[in-house]
Amino acid sequence: MDLLAQVVANGVLLGGLYAVMALGLALVWGVLNIVNLAHGAFIMLGGYAAWHLYRLAGIDPFAGLPIVAIVMFAAGYAIQRGLLNLVVRAPMFNTLLITFGLEVVFTYCAQLAFSADFRTINPPYAGSNVALGPVTLPVARLAAFAVALALTVGMWLFLLHTRLGRAIRATAQNLVAARLYGVAPRHLYAVTFGLGVALAGMSGALYGTVSQVNPYIGATLTAKSFAISIIGGLDSPLGVIVGGLFLGIVESLTTLYVGPTYADVASFGILVLVLIVRPSGLLGRTA
Amino acid sequence: MSSRLRHARSIAGAAAVLAAALAIPATVAAQEVVLGASVQLTGPVANTGRYYRDAYQIAIDKINAAGGAKIGGQSHKLALKLYDNQSDVNLSVRQYTQLVSQDKVTLLLGPFASNFALADSAVSEKYKVPMVQGGGASDQIFSRNFKYIFGTLAPASNYFASTIDMLKALKPKPASVALLYADDAFDVSVADGTRPKLKEAGLTSAMDERYSTNATDFNSLLSQVKSKNVDAVLVAGHETEILNFVRQAKSLGVAPKMYSFTVGVPSEDFRKALGKDADYAFGMTAWLPSTSLKDRWFGDAEKFAAEYKARFGYDPDYHAASGVADVETLVQAMEDASSTDPQKVRDALAKVKFDSLYGPIAFNAHGQIDLPQVVIQVQNGKLAEVYGAKGIVTQPQYPMPAWSAR
Repeated sequence: MDLLAQVVANGVLLGGLYAVMALGLALVWGVLNIVNLAHGAFIMLGGYAAWHLYRLAGIDPFAGLPIVAIVMFAAGYAIQRGLLNLVVRAPMFNTLLITFGLEVVFTYCAQLAFSADFRTINPPYAGSNVALGPVTLPVARLAAFAVALALTVGMWLFLLHTRLGRAIRATAQNLVAARLYGVAPRHLYAVTFGLGVALAGMSGALYGTVSQVNPYIGATLTAKSFAISIIGGLDSPLGVIVGGLFLGIVESLTTLYVGPTYADVASFGILVLVLIVRPSGLLGRTA
Repeated sequence: MSSRLRHARSIAGAAAVLAAALAIPATVAAQEVVLGASVQLTGPVANTGRYYRDAYQIAIDKINAAGGAKIGGQSHKLALKLYDNQSDVNLSVRQYTQLVSQDKVTLLLGPFASNFALADSAVSEKYKVPMVQGGGASDQIFSRNFKYIFGTLAPASNYFASTIDMLKALKPKPASVALLYADDAFDVSVADGTRPKLKEAGLTSAMDERYSTNATDFNSLLSQVKSKNVDAVLVAGHETEILNFVRQAKSLGVAPKMYSFTVGVPSEDFRKALGKDADYAFGMTAWLPSTSLKDRWFGDAEKFAAEYKARFGYDPDYHAASGVADVETLVQAMEDASSTDPQKVRDALAKVKFDSLYGPIAFNAHGQIDLPQVVIQVQNGKLAEVYGAKGIVTQPQYPMPAWSAR
């Protein structure tokens, strides 16, 4: 019983990390209709940014999150404004190709710049834990989970209640009407993509704290984020949290009861099931 | 007239240059032996792939500086034709095919990792060009009766042999063992070889779990290790997985009496990434840079290690030594055969026997070397040789204390 409780707790914390990884991908996908294949590469770059901040300036990875977010936002804004806006209305295949190309470029540039060595962000508390009855909770994962929740709720409130957030949703729903109301889509697309990249960067900083960063982590993280976005649905950040938690718990339980090799089978099996039964996601609106 | 003359002269000059250009490679080609390889210079295993690139290069430069290989009374310089396979097995097979069919290299050196060597050895077999590879240890590579593949890594099935011998000698002897392994050719071979040895040693196997290569989350497995109170954990995996395993063990407060890993522990990169948390980790290596390993080209293994570090800026581990041994083995075989003919070199390889900085080189009937592995442990940030053929060398730090007590 203790083991079951521990494994479920592991799954919940893992799910929180998954959710914050997928948040940016789901936002960009939902609003811009771009499946950003470079998403994992942005997570990786965010991880390196946090690693450098910690290593060179001694800035704690959690305290450094705003810096990582600002840098990554600027990069994302520039990429959307200068590159992706050119193809945003083109067939989806074009944006897939461009973001795939970006993924390759970022990955190999990262190897040139940072080498293929493994980097871990290792603040003193990274290995400590708190006991909650029979359950052990790693501090770093707990903190990452809290940040994930805060970012998701923050994102939700932002989209619902701010002028900018409403403009983003309006653009996603009806571009012509939004323009009639004075929304400038070029700028707005860039802001949205920038936000997505900033979220990816922050999740990279968290990932580097609980796991490790190397230039090649991107592709698998993109795939995970993709699965979570589909499972949760693209309509609201809450869907992403649900998708992430669901996946984290399922993977942990599969590892315990069926075997570790089946964790991926379970997660992608669920992805297929969701696509068949509820194509708009667990929390998505049924059309 | 004069302009036409000049024109004619320049044509003649160009022809002379062209003739010279054609003639020089022709004479060099007779004296040059090209060794071909495809190695992971980019992609997820580039981190270990670089050992092979650097090892091949330093060995070839060293041998060339000493005048090259003496084949049939003539000096032959060595050259390296190297491709980056981007950590992609399919690309690696295509590149080896290109090396033998289009680049017409003389002999082949290997890639890193068993799954690569497993696929690439099909190319060397098909084209009957011998490949000496120091990157694939899986017994599967050598179980197909191939004639053109030779391996200088100790057999995967034996990786934990010395560790299990040590477990028997430890006090208190561990009551239960967990065997965790990734689902690729190398690690499955390790697990298959380890199971009967555990049984023989009378050690109870409490867990025997296979996980997906590139898994990043070990929390569930670690929670099981903790709840089953496993004393000794043996992990066969890749460096990235091992790093996650150790970090997550710490963050969950899981401290078995000992854990041992097939990879990572001997490499400097592993200790750098984990810092103090690398302490107490056991591993194994078939090679340590000692002065007792004499070498024809480098003097001895310690001198080699110093030279390697000075040139590339990081310490060599057994991958690098194995890569150097591959080049030396090919040279030795060509000299023994007095020929660069692939068939003759193959026959010489089957009989080759010499001492190198990596250890005594000789192959069994399947083309695999047999090297004993010594058990190593990270003790206070440094590698210590703790258990070898003659028993305990340095006292192992055992049992591992709780994480909170470190």
